[in-house]
Amino acid sequence: MRRNIFNNVFTILFLVATISTLKAEINIYSHRHYDSDKILFKQFTKETGIKINIIKGSADQLIQRLISEGNNSPADVLLTVDAGRLERARAAGVLQPVKSNILLKNIPSAMRDHEGYWYGLTVRARVIVYAKDRVNPSELSTYEDLADKKWKGRIVVRSSSNIYNQSLLASIIVANGSKNALSWAKAVRKNMARTPRGSDRDQARAVSSGIADIAIMNTYYLGILANSSQRADREVAEKLAVFFPNQNDRGAHINVSGGGVTRSSKNKEEAIKFLEFLSNSKSQETFGKVNYEYPVKIEMNKSNLLKSWGSFKVDEVSLSVLGAKNSEAVKLFDRAGWE
Amino acid sequence: MLDGSRLIFISSQLNKFYRILKEELFFKLNAWTIISLLVGLFIFLPMAEVLWHFTDTADSWEHLKETVLGRYLKGSFILVLGTACLSIITGVSCAWLVSCCDFPGRRFFEWALILPLAIPTYIAAYAYFDLLDMLNPLLVWIRTSFSINTMIYLNDVLVYVVTILVLASVLYPYIYLLARSSFSNQGSQLIEAAQMLGHSPKSIFWRVALPMARPAIVAGTSLVIMETLNDYGAVKHFGVPTFTTGIFRSWLGMDDISGALRLAACLMLFIFLLLLIEKGLRGGAKFNIGISSSQPFKRYSLDLIKSRLAILICSIPLLVGFIAPVMRLSFWATSNIEKLFNASFLKLIINSLSLATISSFVAVTVAIFLAYVARYFSSSSVYTSNRMAILGYSVPGAVVAIGILLFSGQINQLNGWVLTGSFFMLIFAYLIRFLAVAWQPIDSGMEKNCEQFNNASRSLGSSTFKSLIRVNIPLLKNTLLVAGLLVFIDTIKELPLTLILRPFNFETLATRTFDLTTQGQIPESSIPALCIILVVVFPAIWLNRQMEYKK
Repeated sequence: MRRNIFNNVFTILFLVATISTLKAEINIYSHRHYDSDKILFKQFTKETGIKINIIKGSADQLIQRLISEGNNSPADVLLTVDAGRLERARAAGVLQPVKSNILLKNIPSAMRDHEGYWYGLTVRARVIVYAKDRVNPSELSTYEDLADKKWKGRIVVRSSSNIYNQSLLASIIVANGSKNALSWAKAVRKNMARTPRGSDRDQARAVSSGIADIAIMNTYYLGILANSSQRADREVAEKLAVFFPNQNDRGAHINVSGGGVTRSSKNKEEAIKFLEFLSNSKSQETFGKVNYEYPVKIEMNKSNLLKSWGSFKVDEVSLSVLGAKNSEAVKLFDRAGWE
Repeated sequence: MLDGSRLIFISSQLNKFYRILKEELFFKLNAWTIISLLVGLFIFLPMAEVLWHFTDTADSWEHLKETVLGRYLKGSFILVLGTACLSIITGVSCAWLVSCCDFPGRRFFEWALILPLAIPTYIAAYAYFDLLDMLNPLLVWIRTSFSINTMIYLNDVLVYVVTILVLASVLYPYIYLLARSSFSNQGSQLIEAAQMLGHSPKSIFWRVALPMARPAIVAGTSLVIMETLNDYGAVKHFGVPTFTTGIFRSWLGMDDISGALRLAACLMLFIFLLLLIEKGLRGGAKFNIGISSSQPFKRYSLDLIKSRLAILICSIPLLVGFIAPVMRLSFWATSNIEKLFNASFLKLIINSLSLATISSFVAVTVAIFLAYVARYFSSSSVYTSNRMAILGYSVPGAVVAIGILLFSGQINQLNGWVLTGSFFMLIFAYLIRFLAVAWQPIDSGMEKNCEQFNNASRSLGSSTFKSLIRVNIPLLKNTLLVAGLLVFIDTIKELPLTLILRPFNFETLATRTFDLTTQGQIPESSIPALCIILVVVFPAIWLNRQMEYKK
């Protein structure tokens, strides 16, 4: 028994040792946990022969870990969602600026850091999703309108701990000033049909079951539900429709998921190659088809489901500015009592 | 004003303290005590880091205090109170029925009721992940027939009810186990005496058995409370604001380490307060002594109706806490069975098992050493440093993780080693978190069995090391196995530390379960979750049998 255990230990140590002696590899810290990534990583290794080692975790934990590992960190690339987090990583000094003509060509300037610390790889819109049978889209107009009393007890949205909400509020701070943003958050909180909880997917479920009439959520979750292997999920998606707010003024709030090369990277070349690979048109198509995210060049979208939601006007505020407003947004949420 | 007698008292106390200090310094400082002092303090260091930063001035603290602190306090308080009460009611009533009454199936329930212990709280929450959603039709009905406000209010209440139910259904065995052994061992002679004096079963329960079992119940309850405060998976899933979620939010979500440290330090202080209260409530009684009871007393035999009632009472916690979640997980697992047998899954199991084996081995070794040195030299300084080293068990994993990251960050900068994300760091983290689990049984085992033998072996001229190897370890063989298994079980179940500190490409059953559930693939996560339960159930049953034999 004991010998067995020791054998196992040695097997593991041996595996670790062999993995670390292989050549041409990159180490990735990733917050993204989607099937599209699995497919793309495999494709990358096949095309370039560069092996990918990955640690998945929540972005915040991974950033914290990068800070604590400092220059000795084995990581080469940080992949995460939301520009707020990418900015946070940049501010924490764990990324380095990289230049690549391919990246500049493939990624519009609004979707990347202008110094090259991070590059957006996919786009997601945070929109209003409504129950087709209970809401007439003519009732809907802007994010600001959600503070109106007519929505009392009809809205569900997830917790303010979530970065997507923080970036949305940051965009409202930029558009309307922090005083108005605070009263907006307070009013929306009062209109909620329940204390915020669960994921974006859970908000969709709540709307379809009748707890509430509208939800603020990211578009791709609806795509995932509509194409789920579970029938119950598909039924949820059938009852819902997408509304892009603020089409007559600044446009709908979008955000990116993206990545950057870490400051400590020992395989910088391979890491850049990896980002370039994710930005090429074939990878961009995979993100859309498998995970229902928009490509960074939104107009290049090839997914039929996304096309069915229609084209829309995008809020063009710089994502780095939203990242800089992040901590203010969190404090406003706390003061508004939005859990 | 100090009067004379008071002054004399104080000076005699000071004198005593001085004498002890002198004795410690001059006679008990040797290689053994110095090393164990250093080891104990080293284990305490990451927690000291957290407390140390408590004094930092944090701008964010004012903001936290004004806005969210009250919410966290309220959430944690309701959760702790509810879970503790429900666990006490369930644990004590089942323990009473199983140990003092006779009904068909009693022997089965006696061991089966501990089974929920095998299910970590986060897995219980996943198994019941849609419990709140199932109540949606009820809420919609209330929305349409009453008012929206009623629905909102009820929804808030239901969140707590469901979370408390889920937590208590897997945590009550802590109380059940301790209360049961108290009822059947320690109380039996007194219960017999009360029976002879003509007390009814009801009055015996309230006036004899329950007061006798109080220290055991208090000890069990404090374990339940610590587990409740430690939980991250279930509260996050059901959306209950607690200190632990607050720490994660400030630390990772707002990048506000000082605020998170303040919250963590508050939580630590709260727990230390709790430990003091526990000590007070136990009234100095030790709940594990007096196993000397001669004969088990005659159990009350219940009539048909009461028997059925007893069976019902014992079935409910077993059903809710074990059978239902395991059935649901098994149902999901069978629909994913094709994913079960592949190489990567085998690796998961090997990873979890070897990690748990190594850390229990390390924890037991360190625990023997520390407990032995303190007892052998009866050194109160070593004993104090031991006490500090085992505090990690009462501190939530999230707080330990902060401490370790701070600590290892400093080491990283000192000499360029990367300690985070190494096996060494992970094992060290488990050692901090679970040393108490190994130390407690070993220390009390040494107290009971080894003291006189140590004196004898010392006076016969054996060296300190020889006494340890030839006397203590053979005497404690069984206790060591028990201690090792307890650490093993806890390590397999552990989630947050592993999640934060694990090395590259390294997954355990617990992290895979968590990864899959955060992706919303709850059915797919059932297979690793079931494996955790399976791996834990058998040692747990064996431990239970061990306790039985002790009688």
